[in-house]
Amino acid sequence: MTKRAPTDWAGPDMQRRIRKRYAAERRFRMMGLFAVLLSAGFLAFLLITIGIKGIPGLTGTFLTGSDATDPELAGIWGAFKGSLLTVGVTLAIAFPVGVLTAVYLEEYAPRNRWTDVIEVSINNLAAVPSIIFGLLGLAVFLNFMHLPRSAPLVGGITLALMTMPVIVIAGRNAVKSVPPSIRDAALGVGASRVQVVFHHVLPLALPGILTGTIIGMARALGETAPLLMIGMRAFIASPPGGITDPATVLPVQIFLWSDEVSRGFVEKTSAAIIVLLAFLLAMNGLAIYLRNKFERRW
Amino acid sequence: MPLWLTLLLILGLGGIAWASARARARAFAGGPVRVHSLPNYHGWYVALWAVLPALLFLAVWGNLSAGFVHQTVMASPEAASLPSFDMQRDAILAEARGLARGQLTAVFNPQSRELAPVYASAFQFYSLIGLAVAALIAFAGGGWAYTRVSPHFRARTRVERLVMAVLLLASMIAILTTLGIVLSLLFESLRFFSRVSPAEFLFGTNWSPQMAIRADQAGSSGAFGAIPLFWGTVFIGAIIAMIVAIPLGLLSAIYLTQYAHPTTRKWMKPILEILAGVPTVVYGYFAALTVAPAVRDLGLTLGLSASSESALAAGLVMGIMIIPFVSSMADDSIAAVPQAMRDGSLAMGATTSETIRKVLVPAALPGVVGGVLLAVSRAIGETMIVVMAAGLAANLTANPFESVTTVTTQIVMLLTGDQEFDSPKTLAAFALGLVLFLVTLALNIIALRVVKKYREAYD
Repeated sequence: MTKRAPTDWAGPDMQRRIRKRYAAERRFRMMGLFAVLLSAGFLAFLLITIGIKGIPGLTGTFLTGSDATDPELAGIWGAFKGSLLTVGVTLAIAFPVGVLTAVYLEEYAPRNRWTDVIEVSINNLAAVPSIIFGLLGLAVFLNFMHLPRSAPLVGGITLALMTMPVIVIAGRNAVKSVPPSIRDAALGVGASRVQVVFHHVLPLALPGILTGTIIGMARALGETAPLLMIGMRAFIASPPGGITDPATVLPVQIFLWSDEVSRGFVEKTSAAIIVLLAFLLAMNGLAIYLRNKFERRW
Repeated sequence: MPLWLTLLLILGLGGIAWASARARARAFAGGPVRVHSLPNYHGWYVALWAVLPALLFLAVWGNLSAGFVHQTVMASPEAASLPSFDMQRDAILAEARGLARGQLTAVFNPQSRELAPVYASAFQFYSLIGLAVAALIAFAGGGWAYTRVSPHFRARTRVERLVMAVLLLASMIAILTTLGIVLSLLFESLRFFSRVSPAEFLFGTNWSPQMAIRADQAGSSGAFGAIPLFWGTVFIGAIIAMIVAIPLGLLSAIYLTQYAHPTTRKWMKPILEILAGVPTVVYGYFAALTVAPAVRDLGLTLGLSASSESALAAGLVMGIMIIPFVSSMADDSIAAVPQAMRDGSLAMGATTSETIRKVLVPAALPGVVGGVLLAVSRAIGETMIVVMAAGLAANLTANPFESVTTVTTQIVMLLTGDQEFDSPKTLAAFALGLVLFLVTLALNIIALRVVKKYREAYD
């Protein structure tokens, strides 16, 4: 016979049972708090370790120099300029293509098989590992189209294909959140469907699109693996002059320095990580600021 | 004439076309006839007719003129002394091209210095021809369109049709990218499988892709059994990383949504999301420099064979990277559980933790499982952490303190370094890429199915 639950609230059995349940409640709560603190603590540990090792390395020569075999002379300006050029190419391709695709899918696309194919491929691309895009860049842009190796042009195109789905998904949500009444009003006073979108919907959706774009660009800026595939790991002793010159980027520079045996490069690597993280944080901060300032609830 | 100047000129012509057509359309606005399109649209229509055909011609000409330049140079008297041997001749010609463009200053072959001025003049000649024809096309296109500007002309309809075409083209790029990925992976993998049998690749247990230089050297054929790689990937990405990420991610999501004060939640959620925004190369560096030595010492203390690059170090750090991912998926699916179920459980006298464990989590389980599958697919595609911390030895071991290697690590190792593109070694990277692509795709499809099925239950 199973033991029946006590029914007398004042009885000792019931009191013990309640205490037990409350203890379980507290334990569970503590476990949750512990999980949050552990994750945040790891982040703090990571930042502090890298900060302690890297801050002494943030010198003038470091910020203005290029890669060198001597850790004393090595700097990140070359890699940083490579990053800027690469992300510039990425932005120039991914932003217009992403926004136009988002607008097409949300506003004009007929509901048919073709549209489904486009949607499925965008959603799948968003989940493809970044290294696969590197293989694509190697096989198509370098070996098939013979674009220059190690160049920000190829790196930028590869990263653009990778970030475009992010921008499309953010853009679609932004366009979707513009209320239909805006469109109806514009159509009602005689605007064409193209005018409705380009004069009314897009300006209202722009903050959301920009937030998504900045987040996508931050991801592109921190990406390493696909750029290794297309050869952006060369030793670059002078900053690249244009988008077809051989170049390297900040994350790849960090990867290359982390392999160096010389102890002096540990400090350089950590300092380069600080610069990269500062940039990513600033970009994400800008995205959050834009979202808070311009987001409208309809 | 540099290319950008040509482009600027064409765009300038377009600007002039836009302004003049707009002015003409303005002139008849307010006249006796009702005008169909706004002056702006007439401007755009004419400008597009001026610019687009000219740009199209320039793109074609850019490809054609290289051939013309080559012919001119080969026909010149300076080229008569060139060696007939192809590779040597191509090298000299490439150097001369570089000299003529000003990309090179010092050259290896003295002949290329003689050829450089011939190249320079040929470049100049053909680019001037290109410019002249492009300008002519721009004038012709713009002029023809300009004659069509009239009150009845439906300029807006035409311009909008082009806008729609551009939109459709933009959305095709996603399909082209997917096709490009599938075709390039398939094509290179087929070439790999023509040399190494798929059965050996998928089920072999010996991985040593080094190709010998001489055929009679030991191990000259290379071994491409990928089972140790698949095991290493699953061990790090799907086992160790998930042992870290699932409890921590799930518990943080529960704490932040159910227990935490709104202010705490407001601050802690973005902080945890920073974990997902840290570049993977930073995690890799941290794993290799700080976590791996600590893990090795721990392993040695426990009396196990431990290597400085261990599966545990890479898996731990990867798990931490995945926490925000699991946590936000769990957050979403717990939030999707109807409030009535939670209220009902609380009203029956269950404590908050009992409600969470017996009602919310079971109801949200399909969503959580879907999120975990997506997290696994992200973890096995992750590259930099494992490249920097997991090692290269293809071991088939269950000891987390040993070094294992993963699919992504091997792709990077096979493709960085200088070797010819056609060797089985480089082609193997594409075969591994194909497997990775198919597995992540399958995981994503299954995850979305699971999530979708769950959603239908409560809507």
